[in-house]
Amino acid sequence: MTACIEVRGLSKVFVKGKREVVALDSLDFEVADAEFVCLLGPSGCGKTTVLRVVAGLEPATKGDVMVHGKRVVSAGPERGMVFQEFALFPWRTVRKNIEFGLEIRGVPEAERHAISSKLVDLVGLEGFEDSHPDELSGGMRQRVGIARALANEPTVLLMDEPFGSLDAQTRNLMQKELLRIWSATRKTVLFVTHSVDEAVFLADRIMVMTARPGRIRETIPVSLPRPRDRTSPEFIAVRGKVLAELDEEFEKAREKELSPD
Amino acid sequence: MDRKIVILTVAIAAAVVLASVATALYLDRASGDDSVGYVNMAPSLMEGWLAGNQSDAYIAWEPYVSSSVVSGTGRVIMWSNEIMPNHPCCVVAVSEDFLAREDGQDLAARFLKAHIEANRWMAEAMADEEGANYSLLLEMSAAFTLRSPEVVEEALGHVEYGYEMGEDFLAALKQFTDMYVETNIISNETLSDLGFGNVSEFVEDFVDESLLEVADDVEPSGTILNPADEDAIRLGYLSGDIHQLAQFVAQNRTVGGGEKSLFEVYGLNVDPIPPYLNGGVLMDGFSLGDIDVGYLGAPPALQKHANLGVSVKIIAQANSEGSGIVVHADSDIHTLEDLVGRTIATPGETTIQHLLLKIALSREGIPFVKA
Amino acid sequence: MPRGRAMMVRVRDSVTANWMRLVLGLISVVAFIATWAVVSDYLADTDSDKSEYLPGPGAVAEAFVKSFLEPVPGFDDIRMGDMVASSLIRVFWGFLLALAVAVPLGLAMGYYRAAEAMGRPLVEIFRPIPPLAWVPVFMMVFRSFWGPVSIVFVGAFFPILLNVVFGVRSVDPRLIDAARTLGARRGAIFTKVVIPTIIPYLMTGIKVGLGVGWMCVVAAEMMPIQGGIGVGYYVWASAFSYSMYDYTYATMLVIGLLGVLTTGVAEVLEKRVSRWMGMR
Repeated sequence: MTACIEVRGLSKVFVKGKREVVALDSLDFEVADAEFVCLLGPSGCGKTTVLRVVAGLEPATKGDVMVHGKRVVSAGPERGMVFQEFALFPWRTVRKNIEFGLEIRGVPEAERHAISSKLVDLVGLEGFEDSHPDELSGGMRQRVGIARALANEPTVLLMDEPFGSLDAQTRNLMQKELLRIWSATRKTVLFVTHSVDEAVFLADRIMVMTARPGRIRETIPVSLPRPRDRTSPEFIAVRGKVLAELDEEFEKAREKELSPD
Repeated sequence: MDRKIVILTVAIAAAVVLASVATALYLDRASGDDSVGYVNMAPSLMEGWLAGNQSDAYIAWEPYVSSSVVSGTGRVIMWSNEIMPNHPCCVVAVSEDFLAREDGQDLAARFLKAHIEANRWMAEAMADEEGANYSLLLEMSAAFTLRSPEVVEEALGHVEYGYEMGEDFLAALKQFTDMYVETNIISNETLSDLGFGNVSEFVEDFVDESLLEVADDVEPSGTILNPADEDAIRLGYLSGDIHQLAQFVAQNRTVGGGEKSLFEVYGLNVDPIPPYLNGGVLMDGFSLGDIDVGYLGAPPALQKHANLGVSVKIIAQANSEGSGIVVHADSDIHTLEDLVGRTIATPGETTIQHLLLKIALSREGIPFVKA
Repeated sequence: MPRGRAMMVRVRDSVTANWMRLVLGLISVVAFIATWAVVSDYLADTDSDKSEYLPGPGAVAEAFVKSFLEPVPGFDDIRMGDMVASSLIRVFWGFLLALAVAVPLGLAMGYYRAAEAMGRPLVEIFRPIPPLAWVPVFMMVFRSFWGPVSIVFVGAFFPILLNVVFGVRSVDPRLIDAARTLGARRGAIFTKVVIPTIIPYLMTGIKVGLGVGWMCVVAAEMMPIQGGIGVGYYVWASAFSYSMYDYTYATMLVIGLLGVLTTGVAEVLEKRVSRWMGMR
């Protein structure tokens, strides 16, 4: 059975003038259908780059990226993306933001309206359909972002530190909301974060990345049943394991910053 | 959002349509089929404008008329004396503040004497075309107007120089003032505010013949009576206007007899200040106190004296006639009627040229509108 | 400070502020008019030669009203309304042309490096030239009606162009990323992301361009080779040709009011569009 996302030998090199920066070095991983996978790593390890390549926003320098067996060439609605800074269209209402992709596809208005209404309910924004993003709180904006991506019935949902801009309480709330939405829609999710806590709370599997140049250092499965209790000993154990892997990489990343490269 | 775009587009389209209609109406009014349109322009530009077919005709003072004719660009269809024979044109005006000076009356009379003698010299020179004075006159005119001697020679033939002010002179000034009152450029209120019951009183008060009466008896003076710079008579005139040749002649040393100019002969220190574009601006010069004596057209003097209370007096005439309507040499315009539906350039709404044109056209019943 | 009182102070301050502003503004205007009246009366009483150059506020107000009702001095059948219409029409055309050229050009220069590289030197050369400096050229070529239109064009062109270019540059790249992941291609990105982004910038350009254009038309109409009528023309003519200075000031008042009107309309539009766009 073809994996949902398949990445083989992915390398990405950024050329900045005369300098070459090797962001990713021969990455390999797979994500199965309806799996919730977290990509975890220190800052600058290239996890966002991985996501952008899978999304089709950046081309790979070397290697293959496949979604359901098809090569990823450019960005498209089947790989929906949710951004850390929300990236909502400020001149559009909540409803219109959600309907963006549908408009592009030429879906007639009545149908668009029905779809967006359902999604508004799903993400819990009833009553705010005609509000503009600047009238909403951070958490609400991200709900719109999620709904907007889901409107196109994507094969995978790519999430780039989506709760990084939110305060701690909202973040916890949104994590729970995300799980609720996910269980209702059963999408394949590739979730990038640098928060161990978040990864352990959300993921079926956590892929820990090395510092630059990025590689998958270790994959740690999390088979705890949801909803997960952050205070339970099992949670803490998994957390400890992940942290151990991560700390080493943090050290390496810091050394790299301090030494001339 | 799409609906808003549609509304916006419709609004813009409506605005464009509305504006087009308004524009068409406006342009149509300007070049009406039954009227003559005018534009304002400095005379020095008129020949070029005509040559480039950007206006159909122009009316100006000499030498700008002969300039076109001599160069072959233009053809005269009507001289100003055909519109109004012997019409007064430029006059000599003096500021009342100057007259009020202790030596004011005396200096003004001497100035007029120099003006009179200059006129006499010019008349003699023009009578003898073989004479040396004639060539000198042409030279001076060319230098003053920056035109070639041929142009100047042609121009001089059409100007009547003179200094007398008679009944006809007064009558013409009254006619000009009447026209201004009719077209509301001078209001009756203004005249009565100034203390005049009617136009006649106004004009007769404006013209002061007393100085002319004594001027001819003035004797030459051995010394300059107002040598100090701040006492000099500041003289204003219009640029390149051959009508005002007399004051230029009066400055010339050869004319005066080898060493002195006519002004100096009669003991005057005259300071000509840089020329003005037209009579209206010259009157503003009076108002600002920049000049003591000026040569300018009678109409702007009348108008600004009335409306702005610029306190000057007309003390002599400078010339009469000497303007013409010029059309392109190749054009099909031969009479005033032919000007209907065309554009003519005038030196300004209050110049005598403009006024004469208006008189001429209204005699034919042709409206004269701003193009 | 207890919450209730703090709130009351705030409310009182805002109300006071508004009323105060109105009153203060009124005071200064009244003081100005009073000073004007005193000065012009003084000049008239001392019979100064300058008195006619400064008619009093009453005379100006009278001229203002009369100019709309009766033909203005010097003309048989033209009223201030005709002058206004003539000037406004010129502004309209000049502005529309500027919009039609500057917006596409601005989009091209914002989008394509090549267009920007080609356009920038020319823009930098011509932008500093005051629009009125073009009068000798344009008046000769385009003559009485379209001459001033072309001056308005030059005046309005650069603000619009530069604002559009700036707007295109200010498009948030993350929005473009988002649009791409939602299935947008170049065309959709242009119409659904770029255009909405630049609209507030365009409105600013329009507001500035309209203001400059209005000043241009008034000045261009004063040029002596100008044909046609208009408010700028009449400010000049009423003073230098007809010496009716009360009409001169009245016309200046008309010009000022029209200027406020045009930029005011533009500003209102700008605010509404901004609100509609949900920005700022």
